[in-house]
Amino acid sequence: MGPAGMAAFVAFVVGVTTILSLLLGDNPALFGAGPGSDELARRLALPGDVLLRLVAIVIAVSIVIGIANLLFVHVGRLARGKIYSAVMLASFAFTMYWSITNKGDASLLEAVQVPIESALAALLFVSLALGGSRVMQKRADIWGLLFVALVLIVLLGSLPLAELAPVKAWSDWLMAIPVSAGARAILLGIALGSVVAGVRALLGQDRAYRG
Amino acid sequence: MTENAIALVSFVLTLMVFSYLLGDLPLVGVLYRIAVYIFVGMTAAFTLIVSYEGLILPYLQDIQNTETSWTTLGNSADVVIFFTALTFGLLLLLKPIRSLTWLTNSVYAVVIVVGASVAVVGALSGTLFPLLHATVTIPEDLSSDFGALLDSLIIFVGTMTALFYFHYQTRANSGAGPGQSRLGRGFRHIGKVFIVTALAAVYASTILTSLTILSERVSFLFQFGAT
Repeated sequence: MGPAGMAAFVAFVVGVTTILSLLLGDNPALFGAGPGSDELARRLALPGDVLLRLVAIVIAVSIVIGIANLLFVHVGRLARGKIYSAVMLASFAFTMYWSITNKGDASLLEAVQVPIESALAALLFVSLALGGSRVMQKRADIWGLLFVALVLIVLLGSLPLAELAPVKAWSDWLMAIPVSAGARAILLGIALGSVVAGVRALLGQDRAYRG
Repeated sequence: MTENAIALVSFVLTLMVFSYLLGDLPLVGVLYRIAVYIFVGMTAAFTLIVSYEGLILPYLQDIQNTETSWTTLGNSADVVIFFTALTFGLLLLLKPIRSLTWLTNSVYAVVIVVGASVAVVGALSGTLFPLLHATVTIPEDLSSDFGALLDSLIIFVGTMTALFYFHYQTRANSGAGPGQSRLGRGFRHIGKVFIVTALAAVYASTILTSLTILSERVSFLFQFGAT
């Protein structure tokens, strides 16, 4: 068995064990009302529990390694004279220092993180409004028209004006019925895609872990 | 940090981010980039702290307490799991060594496949079965309410035709070829209407959310400027 086959074999064994454990474990009703059904269900849940904890710790360690890599990259960029990397490294170092010396104090988060995130989210409005206005320029067909009309109905329906009560009724119906149907189909599509992608990974057909 | 200091820093950083709207002008463009790099550094630091304090540290404290156990296997098994996971994590550092790639790939395989398994089970039990059940179930009190029956029918037809729209079997026939029946095209068009409606509603909701945040930020700027 070659190196790629080794990884595929590990993937298959671990994947099937996890799926069976998650589906059958902690569900005594599946094994009838016998005296040993509770114990059997608990035993079946054990491999999944162990693997999930194992992976949670590996992911935490991976995050630490990823952040260390980010810092190394920016130290390298700083050495090449990229001054913005100095800002990033200083921000990182200051946050670490602040968090260690002021445990439980969220004022740095309030003063820096929240305003920047809020301002970036606010900028999104400009991008979305511009994007919406360009839909009809780039795609002047029935679908573009339908999209813009529906966006306008939902936006107008959110205004608290008595004159727009019919539009609000339309908007509410749209959100409750057609949007619900479309959203269900999109969610079902995502779920089917997740199942297919997951099963392909389990069977070694889609070796994302080959690196 | 005092209230005034927090407000002042927030004010300056908000203006720095909003300077993006002025375009890539000399000096002004620098302010936006500085704000973004501050954000990246701070996010990295907070992520590191949360990963350590929220995941690694609790597990470390758990294994030091011999009276607690994650599984029915006892505390000594927890120690083995923890150090195996740490070893797996450290094995990821061996990625640049080509002869040991199989080892790091096996660790990736475990992580990806466990994630895929959770996704499969979650998609089946959390999305597919409940949504399908909700779509095909007809409420009991519909006999007297024609409007509600019509709404349920629209949801059912919309969901099914939109799912049909995702079906790309006819792609090999290059568009409207003989393989694509009129009925199939009709279903696809109806499905597309529902998909466009859902995406338009998501777009409008995102505009409303960002508009709310924008008005809050602008109001904060004016309030701070007035004091």
